[in-house]
Amino acid sequence: MDPDDTSYDGYEEDAYYDDDYDDYNNYADVIGTDSNPNHFAGRSQKSCTILKDEDISQRQEADITRISTVLSISRNEASILLRVYGWSFSKVEDEWFGNEEEVRKAVGWLHDEVVTMDHTSEGRITCKICYDSSEEFTSLSCGHPFCNECWSRYFQVSIDDGPGCLMLRCSEPSCRVVVDQDVINLMVCDEYNDKYLRHLFRSYVGVSEAIKWCPAPGCKFAVEFDQYKSESFDVLCDCSYGFCWNCLEESHRPVNCETVRKWSIKNSDEAENVNWILANSKPCPKCRTPIEKNKGCMHMTCRLPCKYEFCWLCLGDWRDHKHYYSCNKYETGKKSGEYDEDEMKKEMAKKLVEKYAHYYERWAANESSRRKAIADLDKLQEKHLEKLSGIHLTPVTQLSFIIDAWLQIIEARRILKWTYAYGYYLPENEGAKKILFEHLQGDAESNLERLHHCVEDELQPFIAVEVTSQEFQDYCAKLKNMTSVTKNYFENLVSAFENDLADVECHGACTNVDAAG
Amino acid sequence: MANSNLPRRIIKETQRLLSEPAPGISASPSEDNMRYFNVMILGPTQSPYEGTFVQLLIGGVFKLELFLPEEYPMAAPKVRFLTKIYHPNIDKLGRICLDILKDKWSPALQIRTVLLSIQALLSAPNPDDPLSENIAKHWKTNEAEAVETAKEWTRLYASGA
Repeated sequence: MDPDDTSYDGYEEDAYYDDDYDDYNNYADVIGTDSNPNHFAGRSQKSCTILKDEDISQRQEADITRISTVLSISRNEASILLRVYGWSFSKVEDEWFGNEEEVRKAVGWLHDEVVTMDHTSEGRITCKICYDSSEEFTSLSCGHPFCNECWSRYFQVSIDDGPGCLMLRCSEPSCRVVVDQDVINLMVCDEYNDKYLRHLFRSYVGVSEAIKWCPAPGCKFAVEFDQYKSESFDVLCDCSYGFCWNCLEESHRPVNCETVRKWSIKNSDEAENVNWILANSKPCPKCRTPIEKNKGCMHMTCRLPCKYEFCWLCLGDWRDHKHYYSCNKYETGKKSGEYDEDEMKKEMAKKLVEKYAHYYERWAANESSRRKAIADLDKLQEKHLEKLSGIHLTPVTQLSFIIDAWLQIIEARRILKWTYAYGYYLPENEGAKKILFEHLQGDAESNLERLHHCVEDELQPFIAVEVTSQEFQDYCAKLKNMTSVTKNYFENLVSAFENDLADVECHGACTNVDAAG
Repeated sequence: MANSNLPRRIIKETQRLLSEPAPGISASPSEDNMRYFNVMILGPTQSPYEGTFVQLLIGGVFKLELFLPEEYPMAAPKVRFLTKIYHPNIDKLGRICLDILKDKWSPALQIRTVLLSIQALLSAPNPDDPLSENIAKHWKTNEAEAVETAKEWTRLYASGA
């Protein structure tokens, strides 16, 4: 190729590159939505809507308008009714048309008498809260006067205290008149008005069955979900946290909520440690401190201050022992079956702990690997991608397959992680299922390891130095291929799990037919 | 010192508590913290918490502590029994289940009204809204026996010492 041509091409590429760079920036927004349904979370993203504060506020306003129109009451009154009856139209309307007087009373709009201000001789009144006299008093429709400073402090303390601030009543202990939002708005600063509104939003989300807060720490979005439109409970929030709609744990497809629940209780449970101690130690017969015997003879000496000397086998006082390396008491006891049951229990406990350790270790390893992959993907998007694009004269959009590979790894690590929790609970007597499970898991895992290695290690040389374009082309093809192969394996794994490995019988039948044929 | 900026309301309430104490109730602020009150409530007559007359009244004296938080009177005072008491709405740590100490608090209520309500709670235990499940169960299944236990505890622990 003519050298001039190359430079011309390069120039052209640059212009093109800029354009696409913007596209790439937008790409992050697109991930996980319609164009890429398999990333991070489930298949159907249309079944859920992310609600921000403004959206919730809009819906509340619409509800308030509707109630205030239907019942011909003020917006403030409509808002209070909706709060009292959990933002349910039907409930508000049922109650209201059932017995309006009762509702008015329960909500706090009826009062027998209006109190007139009790002026002292100087024309000033004393606030019943602070006992000071002040000139600025406010009262609700009931007429009980309290000074503005006290109202304001009362509202602030109540707003800090929690959602109870949404249903405040007159400060006069026997008075049930409700406090309007307008009064609060007037009396407190913007900061507290904001807090008040947050409580109001929360009350809306809290009662709706179709809306839940995203459980990610610090995330302020709520998610509306229509489970009839979705095949799974997986929900993806705009903050990029994927969670299970049903149990609010992190997304755990293909494993069910019950398994996840059992598994997380187990992981946080001290019982496992206790089991280990049981399996591997005996308590000192005198002071009951657990002792692990890791070497040496049967003559044990407990540590200070106990210093009790005893025989490890029969736990009797060492002074009664004539023979140093054998214990007659234990031997005869063992013959008569005295020690066997104990030993068996220990053996069982030990096996259980080992089994748990096996699955937990792999579960945890995949989780940490997933986190690392998320961090690596960030790093790639932050700097490496641009660098690669520069070195290999390839527009960033055409390198998006590397992002795809990482996303596939992140999702696959998540699935794989949960298969280990599934494996732990797979009953020992389900031999055929276990074989199929381990086979599918093994296949998927080894493919994932290859893909992870390919994008984590094999990519490095291409970032660091210039290599021939053919080598890079080959690498690209290989990575794309691996990504799609891994994706297939994991899709198979997920569908097998969602059938609860029901294919076992079917597989068995097929093999028989094959054998017959 | 913590007492230097005591709101006028707390000073006034304290003065009145000392000068016109409610019957069967005494409350006095601690010397080093004017927001902390040592309280004594006499068990109401006709209740399992009343003292016994042997020429003069013996026992039936319940000690409590009352603390006015920084937010008082916008937030309720914190009150706790120090004397052991067998009552369905009071737990073994002395915490009291009383609506005005929680969601029914209103800033126009006072230390005096709170203590009167606690005294009234001693006259009218409410096992339907219990704090101690066991005691409430006892109350509902065998009230006579539960009352006996309450009397026994009053004799044993509520000597006022």
